Amino acid sequence: MKELQELARTLLSEGQVKVVVGWEDSPGGPRPAFITRPEDAERLVFDHRCVHNLVAYLSPGHVDVARLGKPAVVVKGCDARAAAMLMRESQLSREDVVLIGVRCGGVVRDPREADTLTADSVAPRCPGCDARQPALADHLLGELPPPPPGENRRDKEIARLEAMRPSERWAFWQAELARCVRCNACRQVCPLCYCERCVALKTEPLWIESSAHPRGVMAWHLTRAQHHAGRCSDCGECERACPVSIMLSLLNRKAAQVVEQRFGYVASDDPAAPAPIGAFRTEDTEEFIR
Amino acid sequence: MSVVKTISEEALAGLVRDLVASGTRVLAPAQSSDGAVDYQAIQELGEAVLNGAMPRRSLRAALQPPTEPLFAWKRDARGLKIEPMRDPATPQVIVGARPCDAAGIEVLDKVMDWDYKDAPWFARREATTVISLACREPQPSCFCGSLGLGPSSGQGADLLLHRVDSDYLVEVLTPKGEALVAAHSARFQDTPGAEAPKPAGAADADGMLAGLAAAPQPWVKAVDEWLGTHFADELWQQISLRCLGCGGCTSVCPTCHCFDIVDEPEGTQRGLRRRNWDTCQASLFTLHASGHNPRNDQSARCRQRILHKFHIYPKRFGEVLCTGCGRCVRTCPAGVSLPEVLRDIAEKALAPEPVSGGSA
Repeated sequence: MKELQELARTLLSEGQVKVVVGWEDSPGGPRPAFITRPEDAERLVFDHRCVHNLVAYLSPGHVDVARLGKPAVVVKGCDARAAAMLMRESQLSREDVVLIGVRCGGVVRDPREADTLTADSVAPRCPGCDARQPALADHLLGELPPPPPGENRRDKEIARLEAMRPSERWAFWQAELARCVRCNACRQVCPLCYCERCVALKTEPLWIESSAHPRGVMAWHLTRAQHHAGRCSDCGECERACPVSIMLSLLNRKAAQVVEQRFGYVASDDPAAPAPIGAFRTEDTEEFIR
Repeated sequence: MSVVKTISEEALAGLVRDLVASGTRVLAPAQSSDGAVDYQAIQELGEAVLNGAMPRRSLRAALQPPTEPLFAWKRDARGLKIEPMRDPATPQVIVGARPCDAAGIEVLDKVMDWDYKDAPWFARREATTVISLACREPQPSCFCGSLGLGPSSGQGADLLLHRVDSDYLVEVLTPKGEALVAAHSARFQDTPGAEAPKPAGAADADGMLAGLAAAPQPWVKAVDEWLGTHFADELWQQISLRCLGCGGCTSVCPTCHCFDIVDEPEGTQRGLRRRNWDTCQASLFTLHASGHNPRNDQSARCRQRILHKFHIYPKRFGEVLCTGCGRCVRTCPAGVSLPEVLRDIAEKALAPEPVSGGSA
């Protein structure tokens, strides 16, 4: 903590950055903080309750944050993957941001519900994580904590869904998505949903109806999952922001599994590693791509 | 003084059975497939969760569904035909409404009957009877008490239940409530001389607004006045930095009511016009056809939400557009807290005027 505060103070007082985006404490647990004065650096905290992906604030469109000037952003390993994707897709230049990596032992699902990190409170993406020390970082802070507790329940849940008959699986998703009101929070909080004009906003032709009826809801979530296949950094923000707790990360995770099987690609924080959506291989099995 | 009756748990279960049997839709807080509590149609009282669990969303959807068809259109050789598609407004009774949610309905009646009488709203409103349950378990971030409502407010309710051991004391608050009691009189017992319990302590779970109650003028009024004169204050930039513009706050709110109108064709010759929930937190909400957007950044959109709730609405209708349910605080993925923002504004508004430098 001291190390983080000290670094933020230095970056700000030396003018290397204009704002440090990190976390501060609040009654509802840690929340994003925007430190612009060296004397405020002491507000910064980092621990297992810091679930947010702060790279979302680097996404084009967050003009209020961009207006402050060059940022330093505190990133966990999973968050760094989102920064790498923004760089791969030419939405962020490496030299325009200072990345403060923090070693991570997993975070809780919801800091309002749990103070301590246990097999029950851990965020679904954390157990089994292999990105606990971001490589895409200008600074790397802290000691490496023990690995996140608990088992990978999400992959188990995907396996359970896959073992279902199609009619059962359809019923599961119908029940899950019946709660969706098409508020679009999943899109708005996503660091990689930066399209100036989302496909869901196009009306001529009307690809995706904006209404919260089964057709509009299904079209939206399936299209979104496809647009994130091979791009998603698995930060879980869409699922966390959903006001009706739809298990969106099951869709994203399943798409990531398919991409890994078919293209051998796993989301990483190496901006130079080509993502399947923007690359091809001569040994590709599909004729048309060669 | 409202009439007070008593209804036992068993009789309440009987009332629910009677209502369901008569074709009335009974809504109550009940467990969803994922374990969380939502207002849902129930068949038996046993399905209801009346232990104080906060339904994930407000009652808005019961009166203004997230999507509703307004009319269908069809084109043929003779021209365009419009066919209204009004929801028949099934009679519904809401059992165990949280007082903050019931209050929201009444607050919204005003805007729904302002420059235009919103027919679908009032059709459902007239078909709806609200039975609130005085709240004994404020949740983190609840702040109804700071807005003058409180956990046993009867605003917006036709009947208000107070849990007393295994029975409920029933306050009959409106003619609609009287009619319900009269139609099911065998389920209710007269309770001569009984008085409704005194309102429980004011909820302000995070303590954000503590201390403001003793301010020299009501803090809500002071906030209203400050908002009217600080459109360009630096505060807006400060509070909006962490906001991701997801609009989660508006989709769980008991008083947000903005909507979008869309045409959804079914092929080329027919289609539906629908009304869908919308949010002032999205940039598209105010995007003009010209490309100009008067609320082009999140600070303008955050300001709009506060202004509408605490300045524009009170100015027009005499009430704030907020019931202190705290859902916006609990749902926000970025830690924005409405009571905290209100406290910051109230502190500015109530601070003594800076003394201009003396000329000594």
